Order: sequence, then C-alpha cells, then structure tokens
Amino acid sequence: MSLPTLTVALVGNPNTGKSTLFNALTCLRQHVGNYPGVTVEKKIGTCRDGEIKLQIIDLPGTYSLAPRSPDEMVSVDHLLGHLKDEPRPDVIVSIVDATNLERHLYLTTQLLDLGQPVVLAVNLIDRAKNLGIQIDFARLSERLGLPVVPIQANRGVGLDALKQAILSAGNSGVLPKPVPFPEPFQKELQALSAAIGPGVEPYLIERLLLDVGGHTERQLSEKLGPTLASRVGDARARLATAGCPVPAVEARTRFSWIRQAVSDCITRPATRPVTWSDKLDRVFTHRIWGTLIFLLLMFAVFEAIFIGAEPLMKLISAAKDWLAELVKEGLSPGPLRSLIADGIINGVGGVLVFLPQIIILFAVIAVLEDCGYMARAAFLMDKLMAKCGLNGKSFIPLLSSVACAIPGIMATRVIENRRDRLATILVAPLMSCSARLPLYTLLIGVFLSDPWWLPGVTLFGLYMIGLITAPLVALVLKRTLLRGETPIFVMEMPAFKVPQVRAVIRRMVGAGWAFVYRAGTMILASMILVWACLYFPVTMPDGRSYDVATEERRDEAKSLEGEEKESKQQEANALHGEWKRQSYLGRLGRWLEPTFTPLGWDWKIGMSALASFPAREVIVGTLGIVYDQGEKDEEEDGEKKVADTPLGKTIQEEWSKDEHRGKYRIPTALSLLVFFALCCQCASTLAVIRRETRSWAWPAFTFTYMTVLAYIGALVTFQIGKLIVG
Amino acid sequence: MPLSPIFPLDMLKPGEWADVADVSGDAGWVCRMAELGLREGCRIQMIQDGTPCLLRVADCKLCLRSDDTSQILVRPLHSAKVV
Repeated sequence: MSLPTLTVALVGNPNTGKSTLFNALTCLRQHVGNYPGVTVEKKIGTCRDGEIKLQIIDLPGTYSLAPRSPDEMVSVDHLLGHLKDEPRPDVIVSIVDATNLERHLYLTTQLLDLGQPVVLAVNLIDRAKNLGIQIDFARLSERLGLPVVPIQANRGVGLDALKQAILSAGNSGVLPKPVPFPEPFQKELQALSAAIGPGVEPYLIERLLLDVGGHTERQLSEKLGPTLASRVGDARARLATAGCPVPAVEARTRFSWIRQAVSDCITRPATRPVTWSDKLDRVFTHRIWGTLIFLLLMFAVFEAIFIGAEPLMKLISAAKDWLAELVKEGLSPGPLRSLIADGIINGVGGVLVFLPQIIILFAVIAVLEDCGYMARAAFLMDKLMAKCGLNGKSFIPLLSSVACAIPGIMATRVIENRRDRLATILVAPLMSCSARLPLYTLLIGVFLSDPWWLPGVTLFGLYMIGLITAPLVALVLKRTLLRGETPIFVMEMPAFKVPQVRAVIRRMVGAGWAFVYRAGTMILASMILVWACLYFPVTMPDGRSYDVATEERRDEAKSLEGEEKESKQQEANALHGEWKRQSYLGRLGRWLEPTFTPLGWDWKIGMSALASFPAREVIVGTLGIVYDQGEKDEEEDGEKKVADTPLGKTIQEEWSKDEHRGKYRIPTALSLLVFFALCCQCASTLAVIRRETRSWAWPAFTFTYMTVLAYIGALVTFQIGKLIVG
Repeated sequence: MPLSPIFPLDMLKPGEWADVADVSGDAGWVCRMAELGLREGCRIQMIQDGTPCLLRVADCKLCLRSDDTSQILVRPLHSAKVV
C-alpha cells in the first residue's frame, strides 16, 4: 500500500538557501529533470514524515511570480496545477531571507493569491542574529496570517517544525488572505473576470491586468481573441486615472502592506555591523586588487587542472594501453581485433584520459559559484563585457566554456535578456575547450617545442584566439542579427558563504558522468565510423587482406636484424600506406585534397580534421589510425616528451619526407591548430544549442559561421607562415 | 531642515547614503527594480561608484549598470550611518 502523499512546492528568491533546504529535506531521494518545452530544471524529491509521504518540488529561484517568458510561466503553471502529469501542490512553502525580510515577502504576498495554503520558512536566522536583527516570529505569524517557522537550512535547524507546519497546513486546508488591492483595481478585476468567464484562475486574470506585455497577456490574447486586448487596455487606462497605474500599483500595494505588517515584528540595530562578507568584498570587488585576485585565481585554476590531473591521467592512459595490449595478444589479426583495439579502446580511451581534468574544473567552478565569488567576477568583468554589447552575467558561461561549451551554454540560463543570452550561446563554442587540448599538446610538442618558452606562448596564444574572437563575434552579432537595446544590467550580489560539500560533489559527479556518457555514445560511434572508413576495403588486388599482410611483414621484421629488418619494416609501412590511401576515407580525402591544399594540409590531415567534426577529441585517435600508430601511448603524458612518442615521431618523419610539407611544417601545424581553435567540431554542443534555443536555425548558424571562420583563419595562418618561411 | 536636492544616482559618492526619490524608465524595468527592493522611498548606500556600481539596498548588495533612458534619482542624507 502506498502512503498518502502531500505535494509541497518550495518557492523563493535566488540565494535564499532554497536548494539547501530542498537537499536537507530530501537527502538524496531526488530526481532532476527538465520541464518539457522550456529550459527550466525540474527538481522533485521525497521525504517521509510518519505515515505521510511528502513530495517536494524545488521551483527555480525567482524574484516574483509575474511571468515574462515561457520559462517563468512554468513555475506559475506548476503552482496552479496546469502541467500535465504534475499534481497541483497541496502546500506552498515560501522561503525567505531573515536579513532582508521585507523584500522577500513581496514574492510571498503573490503566493497568497494562488488559493493554496502557504507556510513561511524564514531562513538564515543565524546571519540575521549576527547582524543584530531581531524578529518576533509569533507576532509575524499573526500579522501575516500564515504559519511562520524560523529555520537554518544549512545546519538542519527547525526542519522538524517546518514539516509539522506543512502537515498541519495541508490537513487544515486553511487558505491565507490575499493582500487587499485598492478598490478601483478590484472592481476592474471582477469586471474582467466576468467578461472572460470561468475556466481562468483569478490569479491569471490579476497577472493579465498587471503585467504589461507579460506572458499571461500574450497567452490569453491568443486564446480569447483580440477583443481582450482592447478590454485590458481600457481597464488599465481607467486605473491610471483612478490613481492606480499599472504596473506600479502592485509594488506599491504589496510593499506598503508588508511594511505595515512587519513594522513591529522586526528590530534592527541603529548602525549596521560590518560583516566578514563586507570586509572580503572590499578586496574582492576592488577595481585593482579585485581584478588582480581574479587573474591570479584563474591562473591557479588552470594550473590546478594541468598539474592536479596528471597522475590520474597517467593511470587511465596506462590502463587503456594495458587493455589494448591484452586484446592484441588474445586475438588474431583481422577486423575484430582492429576494431576493438584501435577503434574502441584507443579511440575512446584516448578521450577518457581527460576525465580528471574535467572533474577538477567543475569542482573549482562549483566552489566558486557556491561561495558567491562568481557574482563578484561578473561584477568586475561587466565593464569589459559591456564593450562587446554583453553584460557581466555572460562572463561566467564564457569562462565555463573554457572547460566545455556544454555546461557553459547551459549556464546562460541566468541571462534574462533573450538577445544577450543568444549572443552568449553562439560565441561560447569559440572559447578553447578542454577537448582541444590533446591536439594542442601533440602538435606543439612535435613542432613548436624549441626554444623553451615557445610551447607556453603558443598555448597561451591559442587560448587568446578564443578569448579575443568570442567578444568580437558577439559584438558583430549584437550589431546585426541580434540588434536591440542593451538591457540594464542588474544583479544581486549574495553574501559570501562557505560552500556546501554536497553541492560541489554533486556537480563533479554530474559533469563526470555526462562526459563518460558522451565518450560511450557520441565518441564511440564516431571512432567506430572513422575506423571502419579507414579499415575498409581491406582486400588487396591479389585477394589477400591488407591487415594480415601488413602484420605478417611486421612480425617477420621483428625476427630480423639490421638492414634486412629495416627494409622489411619499410615494406610493411609502404603496404600500410597503400591500404589507407585506397580506404574509403582515403579516397574521399584525396578527392577533397584541393580544398585542403591552401591550408597546407595533405589528405591525411584533411581527413583527420574532417573525421573530427562529430567530436574534436577524435583527431588524436584518427591521426593515430591514419599514421598507423597502434601504440600511441604516452602522447598525453607531459608535454616535453610528446615529440618522442611514436605518433609524434611518425608525424614528424612523414611531414619531413614530403618536400613541400617538410619545408612548411610549422605553418602547417599552426594552420591546423588555428583551424581547431575556431571550428565547431562538436555534435554535442550543437545539440545543446538546439535544446536551449529550441530551433535548428541557431545550431546551423553556429556551425556555418565557425567553420567559415576556421577555414579563413587557417588559410591566413598558412599563407602568412609560407611568406615568412620564404 | 530643508530637503536636500535630488540628483541622479551616479553622482552619489562611495559610502554616501540616500533615499530613492524616483525610479523612471521602461515599466518592466521599474517593476524588476521594485522586486529587487529598489523603489521610491527606500534607503540605499553607494558602496562603489562607477559603471557598474555597487549599492546596498536594505541588507543586500545590488550590482547595477544603468543608462540614459532609465534613471534613478536620489536624495542624499547627510548624516552617515543611517539604516
């Protein structure tokens, strides 16, 4: 028998500790998904209290329930029970910040209008106490006509009392009294409601009247026809003359009611004490010191990613080689062995090596976000972002995109303005993500490792390409396709707090799992495809298999000595080259070679680049297959040794053999690097752009502009390089 | 005591307190400002001036970049520590 269930919705402003309360109530019994059709996260969890099961919904943080977009409408729809498959919440818990009660109660007063029981949870009572703010909770409860529970969500204080209050509110079904609006307003509301007829909730009619150009107005106009618009317009005009102008009447009415209700419930000290958060802010938001700290912090983050991940990366790399070796020993030469060892283990394994870097990066971002630092960074960077038509809020998504564009694009959800959000999404893939790193380290290690300072400078330069191009493209977009007035940038800066370990771990695990999932699906599929296109056709003109014949000659070479060994090995290599040239990918590559020549590439490089369009990490694996280095181990271990790895050596030898490429090998390497820095070779990113913009046009646009940019960039790089080399 | 003159928010110096006299501009924006607690009659402190500026409104900090079309007018208070 299932327990009786009570559905509870948590509603509150951002940074009130709403998610902390959600986690504290539900522990790990929660499910995170997406509302259909919008980019809003749906978080539902459960907890038990005696014989009753509480189903808890964590609605996205919001300052008000005046929906301006479909994304904001979801919360209202959920609270009114309009969503399919989602029951209407029985009890609404309004969570507010004790240090700033008046402002937070604004949202609470809107909840009172929904016609469901409301429980007020006053969080952060410890911080209020430190600030010397005293709240008389019993009196507050009486004034507001609501059950009020003081809590401290991060320490679990008051949660039992909160649960009890929720249960009794659910049982008694006592509805709160809405804030009384001025008489003219109420009259208009009644008239409008009578005209529309039953079937539309009073709350939606209220929103229709109050939100000029809001979502309810659009939605109901569609449903009820054009007469509604004129009716609403007339009502608003009448209200303006009656001294209740819309929308100001709402803020005025609610805030004056709140001020009256709480005036004798709260005592504040005459002078506001300076908190440690204030002291920290003096440094962190300082124009000079703050910027300096920010730069140092970013430098430390990148260092941590490289140095901290190294031991783990070595371990994964070793495990991958061990596994590939095991397969090679266990199976006889043929398609199956080649598929498993070269295609799957080396291909996918070569990508999984980057898992530790990704996890470390996400941990750092989660800590910075949770403790409140990111808002400071956004504040510091706003001036810079304003120059390219964006605002400080775009900065965090762009910074996250240095790890991976996918979470970066998802992080744009905090940007309210649609055009700004779109511009940020479209340029985010230009930031040098961690998947570009394997190729960077490989080519820099092979061709640009001397003198000692060159690798660092080149790597820095490659990151700068993204950092400079992204704002420039954003500027162009904002001046052309996404033209519109720059919205005013306003952002709340939460007080600093100690980050929650649980939240950080959740982010790390989530990111790690997403990456592994990607490696197991997208990358695995593309590696198998690349492998098959390079393996087949495998039949030689004389009917034998290239694979077996090459392997035989190699085995023979092992037993020989000196010159004989060398000639046998060359024979094997020649045969291998012939095999790859006539493979499907080889044929396509040679056919497309004229396109690659201006970039300084031959068909092998061109094919590797082309095969990397589903996922750019694939390039290293593909180069390995193209240049036949089954054992392309250690290529990621430390940059210094890269040139000594089999793959690095082969590439160097092959390019040097070719007269043209030998002479221009550095321009060729640079052109390939620039191409990868600018190109959108990531099917997952395009899929996320499609999901977030809900259109195929924007991913198509991103792909096109980035590919064109990459081609031009590579072309210019090679041609200039050629002129310099002479 | 006569009322102090009213002037735009960006003329407030760091550390100075003021009462908001008027918030004008696009209706949606004025509404959003009110939701954030920045509305006529409320008391604010300039923490850091410039663009964007950092304000204390009630007990929270807001980071704000306004332009010519939307303006916040304030009436400064001369005695410093008023809450």
